[in-house]
Amino acid sequence: MGALNGLKVLEFSEFISGPYCAKMLADLGADVIKIEKPGEGDSARHWGPFPGGQPHLEKSGLFLFLNTNKSSITLDVKSKKGRQVFRRLAEWADILIEDNRPREMARLGFTYPKLKKINPSLIMTSITPFGQTGPYKGFRGSDLINSHMSSEAFGNPAEGVNDLERYSPLRGPMHAADFMTGLTAAVCTMSAVFARQGNKSGRHIDISAQEALASVTRQELAFCLCEGLYPTRQMGRKRVGGFLYRCKDGYVCIWIGPHWQKLVTMMGNPDWTEVELFKNAGLRSKHQDDCNKLIELWTQQYTMTEIDRLGMEFDVPLAPVRNVKELVNDEQLAYRNYFVETDHPAAGRFKYPGAPYKLSATPWEIKRHAPLLGEHNEEVYGQVLGYKEQDIEKMKKAGII
Amino acid sequence: MSNLPLEGIRILDFGQMWAGPHLTQWLAVMGAEVIKVETHLRLDFMRMIGVPPGVDRDNFNAGTAFASLNYGKKSITLNMNEPRAQELAKNIVKISDVVTENFGGAILERWGLGWEALNKIKPGVIYYAGSGYGRSGPARSRPSYAEIVEAYDGSTYLNGYPGGEPATMGVSPWTDATQAMHGAFAIMAGLYHYNRTGEGQYIDAAMIEGSANFLGEMVMGYTMNGTLGERLGNRDKVMAPHGCYRCQGNDEWVVIAVGSEAEWEAFIKAIGSPAWAKKEVFSNEQKRRQNQDELDRLIEEWTRQHHQYEVMELLQKAGVAAGASLNIKDLVSDPQLKARKFFIEAEHPVLGNITLAGLPWRAEGKEKGNYSYPPLLGEHNDYVFGDLLGLSGEEITKLKEEKVIY
Repeated sequence: MGALNGLKVLEFSEFISGPYCAKMLADLGADVIKIEKPGEGDSARHWGPFPGGQPHLEKSGLFLFLNTNKSSITLDVKSKKGRQVFRRLAEWADILIEDNRPREMARLGFTYPKLKKINPSLIMTSITPFGQTGPYKGFRGSDLINSHMSSEAFGNPAEGVNDLERYSPLRGPMHAADFMTGLTAAVCTMSAVFARQGNKSGRHIDISAQEALASVTRQELAFCLCEGLYPTRQMGRKRVGGFLYRCKDGYVCIWIGPHWQKLVTMMGNPDWTEVELFKNAGLRSKHQDDCNKLIELWTQQYTMTEIDRLGMEFDVPLAPVRNVKELVNDEQLAYRNYFVETDHPAAGRFKYPGAPYKLSATPWEIKRHAPLLGEHNEEVYGQVLGYKEQDIEKMKKAGII
Repeated sequence: MSNLPLEGIRILDFGQMWAGPHLTQWLAVMGAEVIKVETHLRLDFMRMIGVPPGVDRDNFNAGTAFASLNYGKKSITLNMNEPRAQELAKNIVKISDVVTENFGGAILERWGLGWEALNKIKPGVIYYAGSGYGRSGPARSRPSYAEIVEAYDGSTYLNGYPGGEPATMGVSPWTDATQAMHGAFAIMAGLYHYNRTGEGQYIDAAMIEGSANFLGEMVMGYTMNGTLGERLGNRDKVMAPHGCYRCQGNDEWVVIAVGSEAEWEAFIKAIGSPAWAKKEVFSNEQKRRQNQDELDRLIEEWTRQHHQYEVMELLQKAGVAAGASLNIKDLVSDPQLKARKFFIEAEHPVLGNITLAGLPWRAEGKEKGNYSYPPLLGEHNDYVFGDLLGLSGEEITKLKEEKVIY
């Protein structure tokens, strides 16, 4: 049994942040009905990666991963009838997750006060780039825009750069910012679900991607607000640990910090570590670049695997900079059965990322592959909402579903 | 009367550093009573980080890094090497709903507070163990930090400038945040389940496993096609223009993302319909993407003449996604964050009036959430051991003298 069994979720969002939020609920047992545009569906269906590189609505890896355990219905909310059906679904749902611009939701008549009239205990989570209020509330955003507007990108890469003119601030890998926004939405939504268990009342949750990401820089914000310090982008800004060092066949990341002595032992106590310049943490931090160059002289003599083994042996926090192939074939993750093989009728059988947490009583589980576009139209419109067969036919003919 | 969602939930928290404290900070701000356990023998390291000028650097109540991660909590000191301290901890477990920790290994077990013991002491309790690699498997005891996890999970490999080398992510510990928030979600789901069934949980959360979910697209690319992914930086695999451009000021930048033909036309019009925009090489998205070095250079000629907010507002009004690339210090004065009161002020006994980032969550109505100042070390010893456990003042004094409460 999933922890969230019986919880009814209506998802009216696409691409990554809203779908990841709803996936977290679905993978713990919630019933998620996802509304997609007739014909084209969620934009993630068009994104890929596709098996063999051949674009196909039902085979996008990003979509398949983000929509496990969900049902899909198609609905054109631009039509009056479509909006009527949407309101029926909002009445059914415990939670609505949406990522439309505030103006668009108002135009459709799907504002929280209006939906609350239909369903007083509805929890509505709205995900937008800048939130429902403030001067930028109508502004557009994306993974790129949000990661820069939150200062996340200004901090990346962590080491800084040599040439500030040539190298701009940098967004993180893949769509990390969109995922963080979705995760934030999931946490906030879950708190309302828990509260509703006690007081039976719903609420509107206003998620701003800019805030979700700025929140991650809270430590640097504290230094800035309380001490007036802030990092420049100049190379050398990073201190203490978490540096990359070249080795024979790639890079390793080593975290020095309080582990200096173990690192020195691991390197075989080279003479230079005895020098006055590196005597204590303060001095080392002051001469971090020189210290790192000397460490690199050592790492360059070994392969990533060799250093990884030494790290295990000497208990030094380090990891080779691994690619996805090494991640998918990782021994630790295999031991913990992390990757989950999942079959899909159109795309085939592949390994997917698995549980982000192992819950002993109510395990995370992929019970059902991501839905085909509109796969659950009959089930949802017929059984859940109680439309008659001929009504469903009519809506289909009108292009509403 | 407060009406926060986690009102009435009590958490015994052994979390330290970043991920653990940030997790329970979420729950504390949402109304849970979080009792943070430290000892003078094992302070949360963050207490020493970011002590402002004018305050004694050894003052462990003045770390602003700690402050930014520990709002709304209560602090007690227990020297867990002492059997009597372990007994006291067990008595707190009896009146708690959740126990959290993010030690480098199975430390709680050593103190008689492993999952099986906890579930006997308080049937239905939720035990959250956060770690880098999880509490099973060959790497279960390996020490980890965000940068290590990011190297391990493939983020670092794909982070960097197009055509360049791998680079460490961000200034802030990204995967600590992903773990903290996955954990907060899992614990609340566990509490929801407990309310319905009376059943508790052991939550074993590995940072690598949460963060690898954020890389789902990369994983699917490999499992479907054997591809290793590409270092795209600010660029996109479809859209162009899609990048970060220099503005007028010193190290001042703006980002622009153009997602459709209509947006491209709006963009060109907004920047004054320059002649180059009509060039054949920019006539559709695919061509613009193929020629984006040239395209970016031309766009930058225009952005260089303007300030970042100016470009953003101009383009946004035209329906084009654009944003200022903000430094930490710019965030503090960003009009949007200000208007939404993202920053929270608190009166701190040592630091005085402090302003810190709030959470990207708001309580309902006029309520703010539990943003009481980050606790001084051991500030709530008397409340927890006296008011909650019922020890007398004398008993508490004795336990302090004997360095049990220490």
